[in-house]
Amino acid sequence: MTTTRPRTALGAVIASLALLAGCAGAPAAAPETRQEAAAPAALPAATVCDDSFESTMSYAPDGGPTPNVDAIRARGALLVGVSADTLLMGSRNPLSGQIEGFDIDMLQAVSAAIFGDARPLQFRVITSAQRLEVLENHEVDLVARTFTMNCERWETIAFSAEYLTAGQKVLVTRDSDAQSIEDLEALGEQRVCAPEGTTTLERLQETYPGVEAVPAPTHTGCLVLFQQGKVDAITGDDTILAGFVAQDPYAKVVGDAFSAEPYGIGVAADQVDLARFVNGVLDAAKADGTWAASYDRWLEALGPAPVPPVSVYGRVPSP
Amino acid sequence: MTQTIAPYAAPPTTATAPVHRTGLRGALSRTPGRLRVAGVVSVLAAAAVGVIGLNAGLAQSQALSDADADTRQLVGIQDVRNDLVVADATATNAFLVGGLEPPEQRARYDEAVAAAANGLAQLAGSNAADAELLGQATAGLTTYTGLVEQARANNRQGFPVGAAYLDQASSVLRTDVLPQLDELVQANSDRVDASFDSVASVPWLLALGILALAVLVVIQVWLAKRTHRRLNAGLFWSTVLALVATVAGAFVLGSAAAEAGDARSGPYDATVSVSQAYSLANDAKSQESFTLIKRGSGAVYEEQFVLKTDEARELLQRPTVDTALVGLLDDWVASHQEIRALDDGGRWDEAVALAISEEPGAPNDLFQTFSTAASSSLEASAEQTHDALAGSGGSSVLVGWLMLVAGVLAAVLSWRGISKRVEEYR
Repeated sequence: MTTTRPRTALGAVIASLALLAGCAGAPAAAPETRQEAAAPAALPAATVCDDSFESTMSYAPDGGPTPNVDAIRARGALLVGVSADTLLMGSRNPLSGQIEGFDIDMLQAVSAAIFGDARPLQFRVITSAQRLEVLENHEVDLVARTFTMNCERWETIAFSAEYLTAGQKVLVTRDSDAQSIEDLEALGEQRVCAPEGTTTLERLQETYPGVEAVPAPTHTGCLVLFQQGKVDAITGDDTILAGFVAQDPYAKVVGDAFSAEPYGIGVAADQVDLARFVNGVLDAAKADGTWAASYDRWLEALGPAPVPPVSVYGRVPSP
Repeated sequence: MTQTIAPYAAPPTTATAPVHRTGLRGALSRTPGRLRVAGVVSVLAAAAVGVIGLNAGLAQSQALSDADADTRQLVGIQDVRNDLVVADATATNAFLVGGLEPPEQRARYDEAVAAAANGLAQLAGSNAADAELLGQATAGLTTYTGLVEQARANNRQGFPVGAAYLDQASSVLRTDVLPQLDELVQANSDRVDASFDSVASVPWLLALGILALAVLVVIQVWLAKRTHRRLNAGLFWSTVLALVATVAGAFVLGSAAAEAGDARSGPYDATVSVSQAYSLANDAKSQESFTLIKRGSGAVYEEQFVLKTDEARELLQRPTVDTALVGLLDDWVASHQEIRALDDGGRWDEAVALAISEEPGAPNDLFQTFSTAASSSLEASAEQTHDALAGSGGSSVLVGWLMLVAGVLAAVLSWRGISKRVEEYR
């Protein structure tokens, strides 16, 4: 799930085309990585940060002073921005009223490391479009909301190391033969839903003129339209679509991922010490099996737990 | 409706004019001829008083019953609107609870939806002019209840998509049902205003009776000059009778108009204000639940809450409204502040616990107290309005018929008075 500001949309498309052309032969980790990041004004930055291998580069844990972590400890609760309707990643369980999911597990691990006990997180439910601003305004400490790391976002906020690799796929009805959006185009007059203001929707409109792109306020809004027969398919990250399949036995996810979405935990740009601390926690979770246990609990539908994404370090804080 | 007045007002003038003109043709050169014409004119003038009186009485009775019917339609539509926002507020509040919704909340929702559906059907039957918009609202309500049930079914299975259905239900209610009802409320309140205006203006019809009286007086003066007798008994008593009938009619219709005017600025005003305030408060109650459901991102809903409760307070502060209501509203809004304070302080769980608590003194309880008081005040003032309007209608009709009888009597007296003079020429 990636979101751009509308004014940078065209620039993003141009930039992504340019970058794709430039990287065509590069042995990048993910050949089809979405390059939607660079805004026109920020094009020079592309030489500094290349989405294909530098977007996932974070700050190495260093055991140094942690003023921002101390401040959270003094406050007594970790303030986090999450989704409450993305089943499996972060959703409110209607039966218990608790927000839970893979993203939430990662945040809980951070909270437990800060306080030394399992105390409740202080949630702020946000939309995808709010993810950057709540960090920029320091309204929350961390954001874990199917948050794709990319260079454009690195300009205004910081990320932890990558903790999950998602990919964009398509969800169709159980009896559909389509295996991709191209198949849907071939069928003709197919309506495909994607959330408003995301590059998913823009790409759908630009790259696949053969299908009708239908916007919805959120991904779950797309599921409602799908269940009401108002759209024929939904496109989004496989993590999110897996949550939909879990809620609707008449839906299935088809085909291979046609993009790689590295998820990171968002941190305010000026709280590098917190990012380093979070990375320490994530590294431990990846190493001691906590990560795999959480993956098996929530994302079983995507297959057995893979090897956790390797944390890439080496970013130097800008002065 | 008000339009009925114009046709009623027309007959007297059209009735007298042509006869007058035909009477002028030829036979005016001799006194007996002129006397006969004077006789016809005076009979018509006296009869006109009766006809005008009857028309005025019927017109006012019609206007009063229109005002009554439109007021009831207006209150009925606002009742339905209130039922719907109560249903929505209950559904969203129940959603906050998590897990199975409390049976009493479910019952309250069912009751409110049933009342709204009943109300819509009755309203469509009672005024054909509203049927189309009511049909749209009914269709919207069907969609709404369907979505709420889908939200419920998903909730019950633990699927977060239920929340999206609830969201959609609420927005269907706010785009496909409530605006239609608001439009109808406006249309009916315009109709009520028009009816009240005609109730107030009908007594002025009797001013036409004064014209007829003037004609009678002029004929008597002419007759006195012509016959050199000071008084014609028949014409004199005819004039007195017509005068008494007009004055009495003006008094009765005028006081009915005054009473209706009092109802308009008193209980009717209170009914409309309290009904709107009640609706706004229920709307705000839904917003309160959404501030918590949206958990930390409910600022927009809180703004709406403040706007709606402020508007409701303003309405409840009108001089016609029971002064206790605004206090009850404030009590509830104060308890809402406690919820906000908890939520803003990061204690969401406690905020929710407070928001869904059914304990005495909890926000739900205070809201219920306000609702009950507002509903009973609403019922009482609607009843008062009805009484004021329905009560005077009968006396207006009665006075109309009495004026007709008086007019006919006066016409007979006039004819006999003139006949005596005519006989003197035989």
